[in-house]
Amino acid sequence: MVSEELEDHGPRRVHPLTVVIWFLKKAPQNVVGLPAIIGVTSGRGLGWIALAAVGIGVVSLVWTWINWRRFTYEVTDSELVIERGLLNRTRRSIPLERIQDVGIEQGPLSRIFGLAEVRVETGGGDKDEAVLDSVSLSEAARLRGALRGAPARPAVGLDTCEDAPPVEDTLTDVFAMSPQRVLLLGLFSFSLVWIAALAGAIQFLGDALGFGWDEIADMAKSAQGEVQSRLTYSTGFGLFGLVVLLGVITGVARTVLREWNFKLRAGIGRFRRTRGLLTRSEVVVAMRRIQLALIQRGPFRGLLGWNALSVQTLGGSNDPSGRQVLAPLARDYEVAGIVARAGLPPFERLALRPVAPAHILRALVLAVPLPLGVIAAALLLTPFAWLGLILTLPPVLTALLQRRYHRYALRSASLQVMRGVLAQRDWIVPVENVQVVTLRQGLIQRWLGLVTVEVDTAGAGMGATPAVVDVALKDGATLARDLAAGIS
Amino acid sequence: MLLPDTPLNPLERGQLNAMRLTGAVFWTVATLVSFGPGFGLSTGFDWFPLWLPAAVIAPLGLWSVLYATPKRWSRWGWAWTGKELHVASGWLTRRHTIVPAARVQHIDVTVGPIERMFGVATLVLHTAGTANSEVQLPGITRETAEEIRDAIRDQLTVDPW
Repeated sequence: MVSEELEDHGPRRVHPLTVVIWFLKKAPQNVVGLPAIIGVTSGRGLGWIALAAVGIGVVSLVWTWINWRRFTYEVTDSELVIERGLLNRTRRSIPLERIQDVGIEQGPLSRIFGLAEVRVETGGGDKDEAVLDSVSLSEAARLRGALRGAPARPAVGLDTCEDAPPVEDTLTDVFAMSPQRVLLLGLFSFSLVWIAALAGAIQFLGDALGFGWDEIADMAKSAQGEVQSRLTYSTGFGLFGLVVLLGVITGVARTVLREWNFKLRAGIGRFRRTRGLLTRSEVVVAMRRIQLALIQRGPFRGLLGWNALSVQTLGGSNDPSGRQVLAPLARDYEVAGIVARAGLPPFERLALRPVAPAHILRALVLAVPLPLGVIAAALLLTPFAWLGLILTLPPVLTALLQRRYHRYALRSASLQVMRGVLAQRDWIVPVENVQVVTLRQGLIQRWLGLVTVEVDTAGAGMGATPAVVDVALKDGATLARDLAAGIS
Repeated sequence: MLLPDTPLNPLERGQLNAMRLTGAVFWTVATLVSFGPGFGLSTGFDWFPLWLPAAVIAPLGLWSVLYATPKRWSRWGWAWTGKELHVASGWLTRRHTIVPAARVQHIDVTVGPIERMFGVATLVLHTAGTANSEVQLPGITRETAEEIRDAIRDQLTVDPW
């Protein structure tokens, strides 16, 4: 597999001095740390420790050398090939069209030896896609030339062409938050942290003063006793009011600090967002790095017709990856305006289709058993546990409404999905930005003849993804097929 | 069969044997190791038999190697349509993943020591995605893996427009 001769064509190894660099990098733990631990734990003398150090050093050097022998790379006319591994042999092919950036780095050790580390970025998920550690400076320059000399072909959805320095053009205002609107957003951002803090404080004070939840429960039962004299209804309500007030103040203060004077402006191919009261932050979002748009409506603001718009971007060498808020509190027409400015197709709610009716059934199956089980267990302790049935009402209602708010369509070259009952989300995913399509079917879904269609996009972080949950098997297959056909 | 229109190829039989060997090694080691706590407990409690943990783990291992592993193996399937790679897997939860060749960033062909014994390889497609950026197809011959890799690479040089 690995050819022995190292000529101009054919696989090459990284510079032999790399063995020394790798060895020196690991030396502190291997040659000093490990023998020291062995020496201390076994209680032997310095001679033993030195002997162990030499032994481990030799083993580590041989191991490093074997790894070096087994690591080869080759630049052919169409791809960069990296082979590595002793038992687990891996051969990685990186097509030259996919290489976005070639970085040359010199650490202190490499500088001493006149070597450099070459990092190849393709815009894939992981960072260490291809690292050549280390090659001579002239080889690094040759590699950069060979890897970058490839005709830059723009891949769909990803940019392989170099970022041109941004042309200084005039920016036009697209969206701004007035002070009133920032305050309104602050009211919506009521913070529940204080209620948790109050609970914690009662616990703490209770431990300190000798009363707590148990005593409060006793009080509720007997409606008298010493505790009651300390915590009357009026102080209780007063405390509650204080907590609500603190929650509101926290929400408003945090929002004002972050969103004050929020301005979104657009130039050629990019958005520029500035916001913040004390620390002004400025973010540039390149439009062609936008992977999808997400419109969110919280429980209260949604009812009042307010939306939040954010976009998911693919990170690059200078751009942040992940979710960027373009409008924290906006009306429908404002959201539509920004979406159109970003060059994305509009979200058309009326054109969407609901998922399969059995979605409700599965939602109920997932929502009901756990609370019922808890109540059944609690019934063994107290007969009043059936009151807990009231608590199962919200999840059941949510499950019943779930299908009403879960709709999807493949329209104007974009996948449009809305999902969520209390926190509603609308996604606009241009089909060309879909990376992988997955059909997934769990056990319950198999019994009900349902399937979930998941789409993977670049730059997605944690949190909900634009999946179409519980469509009929036939519709799911059609959707997946159409999505895949739209990409390739 | 989540996508009935796409006929899927099964994995190589070698992969079944590779999975069985991996499982057999794991369960044998687990059975042997379980004598450790078994010994500890049997010295602590007179009524506790030394062989009890092993007697629980060994049948589990047999069930896994003889029944569950072939089941899991047979649920795998793949197809290369010339534009997309389809990979299906999963026994209880079924998955069918479609990777369009145009979205592939780079490709790995991996051969581990056990895989080499049974003449199979794993093809790994990397995309720019997040949750599913690495799609693995184990249990195909090295030649097939290299054929698919070359086919995908040829797709990339075709202009998307």
